[in-house]
Amino acid sequence: MNRKVSSKIKKVSNLKYDRKMAEEPFEWWGPSPDEARRTMSNKAKGMRDKCMPLKEAVGRYVRDGINIGIGGFVNTRVPVAIVHEIIRHGARNLTLSFQSNSICAELLAGAMILDPERVSIRRVELAWWGYEVIGIAPLLRYLTSNGMIRLDDYTNYGMSARFKAAAMGIPFVPTRDHGGSDMELVNRGQMVECPFTDKNVYLVPACHPDLGIVHVTAADIYGNSRIFGAHCTCPEISMAAAHTIVTTERIIPNENIRTYPNLTEIPYATVDALVEQPYGAYPGASYGFYWFDMDHIKMFRGICDEFRKTGKKDGLKKYYDEYIFGCETFDDFLSKVGYKKLRQLRDMDGGQPIILS
Amino acid sequence: MPEYTPFEMIAYTGSRVLEDEKIVFVGTGLPIIASMHAQLTHAPGLSMIFESGPLSPILEMGMPLSVGDTRACRKACFLKGLSAVFELTQRGYSDYAFIGGAQIDMYGNVCSTFEGGTYNTPQTRFPGSGGAGAMAANCEKSIIIMALEKRRFTEKVEFLTSIGFGDGSADYREKAGVTGAGPYRVITNQALFGFDKKTRRMVLLEVLPGKKAKDIQDMVSFDLLISPDLKEMAEPTAEDLRLLREVCDPEGYFLNRKVK
Repeated sequence: MNRKVSSKIKKVSNLKYDRKMAEEPFEWWGPSPDEARRTMSNKAKGMRDKCMPLKEAVGRYVRDGINIGIGGFVNTRVPVAIVHEIIRHGARNLTLSFQSNSICAELLAGAMILDPERVSIRRVELAWWGYEVIGIAPLLRYLTSNGMIRLDDYTNYGMSARFKAAAMGIPFVPTRDHGGSDMELVNRGQMVECPFTDKNVYLVPACHPDLGIVHVTAADIYGNSRIFGAHCTCPEISMAAAHTIVTTERIIPNENIRTYPNLTEIPYATVDALVEQPYGAYPGASYGFYWFDMDHIKMFRGICDEFRKTGKKDGLKKYYDEYIFGCETFDDFLSKVGYKKLRQLRDMDGGQPIILS
Repeated sequence: MPEYTPFEMIAYTGSRVLEDEKIVFVGTGLPIIASMHAQLTHAPGLSMIFESGPLSPILEMGMPLSVGDTRACRKACFLKGLSAVFELTQRGYSDYAFIGGAQIDMYGNVCSTFEGGTYNTPQTRFPGSGGAGAMAANCEKSIIIMALEKRRFTEKVEFLTSIGFGDGSADYREKAGVTGAGPYRVITNQALFGFDKKTRRMVLLEVLPGKKAKDIQDMVSFDLLISPDLKEMAEPTAEDLRLLREVCDPEGYFLNRKVK
């Protein structure tokens, strides 16, 4: 497997990039597989009550310089409550890892623009950062065009496969994408010749975040979690990460988990802290509970775009002062959003079927 | 003929291109609308797969606003996560990739990563590959929606995000390690393109009624091959437009956008 090969990608596009950066020796952007393994073997694995306030969970696991794996997908089951708390707590020099995200990545980017002494992002391993129908991500555009963060691009499958490899305890996984695209030239994957077929196959390295942050439909107090709607890559991220904080719409009895163990997508041993936080993905959606709040996302995105275009931070500062720093807890934030809006979003979910029993 | 907008023409053409009894891996917006229209007309046995996790949903709550929208999961037959649907695709279950992009070249290579500047300091960074790079690699055939503009139909893309036929050589995709056959159709509101089997270059197949091959060539930076059997694009009937406007996208999220 040590024979380095490549596709015929060179010179197909007009790509300009820093070759030195692309040819740097490979480096893990979070724990190496060995380090991740050691963390896991050193953990106490008893079934203990992992419920704690979000502030305590974030205080325990968030440090400067860590890799944070963000769960959900674009606007679905995004761990917004945890991100608010991380911003209040502060964390510098972060690496972020996710497949596709919108508001979580933008919230952290906005915090960095307001006060890099509190929150800063050093680099991001990702497939996609934007708002889909609502528009491009203004702060991604700002940070990249000013050379303020380093990106490492994969496909959505590539990032999912990287978390999955980590969850499987293997250092890489072969994929049938990336090859023949410019991602082959710039990302940290590697084309090799398959020892069995003698053909080229693209390897992507495992991605072990230091901290996985995930929002789920329901969990028992030990962290056994059910996810309804799309799983996104949440089970893989939880299992890949050295530590995982889970927020859940509901806490359900352990007896329910044991009645239908097939419904558990994240086993208790992979969860370090559990927080019951209804609407924990708001303004994102949580299947069976609420749809996403297009108005709020548009409002926040509009503020970010205003900053990108004018360089004026007033609107951004006002948003953070009002909705994040002006709130002790995520429930305080939800109170500002108001019952009427939350009820409307619950109705818009349309009662998607979930199983809590 | 009833009046229709450019986006309605793209959605209708997208629908025409999709065959029955296939699985289409859809991107956000017009691909979903085109696939819904196909299901309602000539392809009732067509299934959609969405990258967040669902296969074959029944979109009875209305059009999902994005591929991650919880409504895309409604009454699906199989619902897991990204790994599962992309692995099904790698295995050969997805017949069509239905994607968009910012730039395309004559071999169907698509850019959706950045424009201007360098990879490390781009002038205009786009969201990135998302699922598109994996879909173009491993769905059997790629269908690409593009705006017909010279700067988008370009000699060389600035970043090759979604693989087409690369440099056009016969073994490009094999050496890339991907599994799908590659680009199949490129859809714009004024022309439908395919790819020449021998040279793998883009071929003009159909033009909007009233347009000539030269009109289309004028909006493309590279030399187009012209099909010897050049046809006029079929136009949506009143019933097609009713389905698009009242059933597929009644709020007009994608069909009522202004052309930039």
